[in-house]
Amino acid sequence: MGEIFDGQLFGAAIRQATPLILAALGGLMSERVGVINIGLEGKILMGAFAAALGALLTGSPMIGLACAILVGLTLALLHAVATQEWRTDHIVSGVAINLLALGLSTYLFRQIIVPREEAGETSVVSMFSPMSLGGLENLPILNALFKDQSWLTLFALALPFILLALLTRTRWGLRVYAVGNDSVKARTMGVPVKRMRYLGVLWSGVFASMAGAFLVLAATGQFRENMSAGRGFIALAALIFGRWHPLGATGAALGFGFFEALQMRLQGQPVFGVQLPTDLLLMLPYLLTVVALMGLLGKMKPPSDLGNS
Amino acid sequence: MLRTRVLPALLGAAIVLTALTLLIAAAGKPLGESFQIILQGATGYPRTDAYGPEDAWDAVLHDMTLLLLTGLAVAVALQAGLFNIGAAGQLLIGALAAAWAGALQGVPSGMHLPTALLAGAMAGALWAFIPVWLKVRRGAHEVISTIMFNYIALYLTHWLVTERLKDPAGDAPQTAMIADPARLPLLREDFLQASWGLGIAVLIALGLWLTLYRTVWGYETRATGANRDAADAAGVPTAQRMVEAMLLSGALAGLAGAIEVCGTQYRFFEGFPGEYGFDGIAVALLAGNHPALALLSAWLMSALRSGAYHLHAETGAPKEIAVVVQAALILYMVAVYLRKRRVEG
Repeated sequence: MGEIFDGQLFGAAIRQATPLILAALGGLMSERVGVINIGLEGKILMGAFAAALGALLTGSPMIGLACAILVGLTLALLHAVATQEWRTDHIVSGVAINLLALGLSTYLFRQIIVPREEAGETSVVSMFSPMSLGGLENLPILNALFKDQSWLTLFALALPFILLALLTRTRWGLRVYAVGNDSVKARTMGVPVKRMRYLGVLWSGVFASMAGAFLVLAATGQFRENMSAGRGFIALAALIFGRWHPLGATGAALGFGFFEALQMRLQGQPVFGVQLPTDLLLMLPYLLTVVALMGLLGKMKPPSDLGNS
Repeated sequence: MLRTRVLPALLGAAIVLTALTLLIAAAGKPLGESFQIILQGATGYPRTDAYGPEDAWDAVLHDMTLLLLTGLAVAVALQAGLFNIGAAGQLLIGALAAAWAGALQGVPSGMHLPTALLAGAMAGALWAFIPVWLKVRRGAHEVISTIMFNYIALYLTHWLVTERLKDPAGDAPQTAMIADPARLPLLREDFLQASWGLGIAVLIALGLWLTLYRTVWGYETRATGANRDAADAAGVPTAQRMVEAMLLSGALAGLAGAIEVCGTQYRFFEGFPGEYGFDGIAVALLAGNHPALALLSAWLMSALRSGAYHLHAETGAPKEIAVVVQAALILYMVAVYLRKRRVEG
């Protein structure tokens, strides 16, 4: 067992969980103000493409990240306008955004990046360099968990605490709570409901596209077709499993990241003499979320005004 | 009529043409020639020695069969107020069930095809049941649970086709070929993909039209979707109508998978095209959830796909042009038709 459950596995779990945390917290920003966001997947994918293109053209991962956030904001703005101005069903708008992102990113990839590859130029971008731990390297646990991690991972791990503080300790946080639970009352009390919703959806665009940027600028160094590979939906599952709470969502994302890392590590190796099918491990996050939805793990309560605007 | 129907439809066509023009121009292909190739891919005309109407219609009618069934699946659920994002998973489960039933030994040959199709439909319905049960009993949003069930179906079928139901005759991750009597005949002898499944799909579309708009059940289902509280107050058993509509929806998506197996692929394999389930969303939205209009929108989407694929084959332009145009069309529908009336300031 020692060969499977070592520090490297947990380090890999944190790495796998980083985009899930970012996207889940992005989803949280939008769902807490009552806007359902199933377009996370599309924002991750377009974010990844924009990050790759930006970093490829300029050689700077920071500019890649900025491009990703810009594109994420654009898609989020589309979702905000569709749900708030056109009063569209939130699901329909999310589906359209996912479709648009899949089509556009693949189309642009084939138009811009593939020809460069065919011409013999590299499509690998310069990535964020891993953080050095300095003197902390001697602490075995810290070293195992945080060796060679990117600053984006540290940011993702800090973000839930920042959000929790903002949500529970500030006027803005109270307003979010009011808008998400009873927007009519909130409006009566003078809360600028529409502005709160726009902001929430836009922040979801920022965080989800950062998740995409992480995939390119910190994990693989390259854009690939449909590279988000369902992470937006796992993030959504983490958000629900974590009951729309920043720490809960992050915990769930870490757990789901662990399953992914474990699945990659096992690749057919037996555990306690039993061959675990990798498909069943990959299925686990979704299965657990369904179990949570069944109410077997206590009561699930989404923001009461979710989807009503 | 002119303002509410004709103008928006013309504008929609203009948006499709504009999007196509932009995407083709950006891909650096000549416009006139490209549109001609798209038209050829969609209809077969102008015909050439290498590609004629039989090639185009084979591709278009094959896609239309699947898109019509998944589109109807999404539409019937939406009529009851449920968003079935899970058609993709239901299609996969239905396809695998049909492939399994179609390869069974000892089924009387006259019964083998109905058995396989029924197995697919029932498996699809089963896959839709838990999400709708969670909805009516626990209030869990059906979109979330159907998304989860899509992924569970993806990994479950992958596991089954690689481990449990793999054709023992080879190494490839696929099931055994279904028996000959379980096959749906092709529409024409020179076709490769389009089967008489299209006939089944069209009959179902017409039957669903009558059921939804000419029966009490249909009226109650639509009332449930329009305003559940009002329907409840009027004595409609809304939870029951929702469960029934969702089971029907899952059965239609499962049947789509079964028809793809029995009519075209003759087996289930790793990477089976479950995406048709997602495309059904666009078909249903474009048709305004009306079963008869779904015939038109399924044909339109299939022609667009076939045109874009043909352009890809002929010139190398990315075939995702079809996906982008489809997304633009949904967004346009969203902006024009699907706006909710403003209730409060």
